[in-house]
Amino acid sequence: MDIIRVKSLDIGYGASVILKNLSFEIPRGEVTVVSGESGSGKSSLLKTLAGLIPPLSGEMYLAGERVDFFSEKSLRLLYQKIGVLYQNSAMLNSMTLYENVSLPIRMHHPDFPRQKEAELVRAMLSRVGLQGGLDKYPFELSGGMRKRAALARAMVLDPEIVFCDEPSAGLDPITSAGLDELLLDLKVKHGMTFVVITHELRSIARIADRVLVLKDAAINFAGRYQDAIAARDPYLRAFFLREADHDH
Amino acid sequence: MKLMDDLKKFFTLLTDEIYYSGQYLRRRRGVYPGEILHQLYAMGYRSFPIVCLITFLVGITISLTSAAQLKLFGADIYLADLIGIAMIKELVPLMTGIMLAGKIGASITAEISTMKVMEEIDALKTMGVVPEKFLMVPRLIAITLVIPLLVALADSVGILGGMLVAKLTLGTPPAGFIREILQVVFVQDFLIGLGKTMVFGWAVVVSAGFKGFFIERGAEEVGIATTESVVLSISLIIVLDCVFAFVLY
Repeated sequence: MDIIRVKSLDIGYGASVILKNLSFEIPRGEVTVVSGESGSGKSSLLKTLAGLIPPLSGEMYLAGERVDFFSEKSLRLLYQKIGVLYQNSAMLNSMTLYENVSLPIRMHHPDFPRQKEAELVRAMLSRVGLQGGLDKYPFELSGGMRKRAALARAMVLDPEIVFCDEPSAGLDPITSAGLDELLLDLKVKHGMTFVVITHELRSIARIADRVLVLKDAAINFAGRYQDAIAARDPYLRAFFLREADHDH
Repeated sequence: MKLMDDLKKFFTLLTDEIYYSGQYLRRRRGVYPGEILHQLYAMGYRSFPIVCLITFLVGITISLTSAAQLKLFGADIYLADLIGIAMIKELVPLMTGIMLAGKIGASITAEISTMKVMEEIDALKTMGVVPEKFLMVPRLIAITLVIPLLVALADSVGILGGMLVAKLTLGTPPAGFIREILQVVFVQDFLIGLGKTMVFGWAVVVSAGFKGFFIERGAEEVGIATTESVVLSISLIIVLDCVFAFVLY
């Protein structure tokens, strides 16, 4: 079953249209990678799916419910069902690790018992491989640890889907592979759905069930990763297999 | 066009903050617990020394300048009246507002604009948190609680500076100086000074938030926004002070 369905979506800022007439589905319990060249509109697509910028036109459905980007109530419901891991981690630097991860709980469920909150935060951090250091501030953590902590924060309210914007950005290959393993582990063990924005080919090969390739303000390919790398389309071959230079 | 757009954004933020503050005071939701205490420390404790030092020095300067003139007319004792009224109704509110713009306003803009560049504002939104409430309401409440203390202290220190000069240059005894002030300065004068400083403080916080939330480019704009925030705050304080002068006198 699809967790997200998008119909004829136009994305842009004011008069400038970045992506035109997008229609696609994101299936539940899988990792869908959104890829494309720099400037192809990947981050704008993520921001729209996450309710940060309203589309110019079109429709989006999350778990069967239509998202009204201009209704505070609808956006509030959307935010309760999604988690976002940002490229820079976006941990709040004035708060400790514990405070960062507990923030969504305190904001959405202010009367949630503190004891249970502490258990949930510890469990979530343990799930992403972080134990201890709850009183540390984000700037005291390594880049990989910050990403893991941000992932724990994104998942603490048990969202239906987690969006990850360039999770490997700024990480060394080993830490990046570790983060990919973590996403796969969360998908397999907890049935989580991920939409990952990346153009790291190694990362795509490790995690992608499906890919959505953006090119020339539109979707160039949407389907299984295996089909994408087996495709005869010269752009896809150039993009995924780097068989030839592709002048676009 | 840009000016109109900026004015619209500023007044939208201002009305939002009034609404969010009222909503928070009624329901106690949407602000991280403990953040108001943190802001009280950041705004109050750190601002007291500089505000006191500046108002003390202003008290001395105004006294020295005025004493020389008053002495010519044999009106030495009126130095106390002048210092009392000038400090409480005009100079303390103005100097405190300007100090808050430099000390608090700049730091709020730098913090919020950096958060925007680092996607922390987006992160708050996708966590279902309203950044304009989460970040601004604790600061507005903290400044509202800090200002009465700050004004009382600054008034006292400014008058102390004047009293010191009166004693050293005119030989006016401190008891006589205080007695003279108490004859011309009333509680309502203190309240006028306090009210003005409160409005200046709110103007500083809202201007700082406005410059922080609406940066559009990247990290290079953080410095520019911080400088603009201080300039905007000080300009607003002067304009508001002028409006107060027309209304009150």
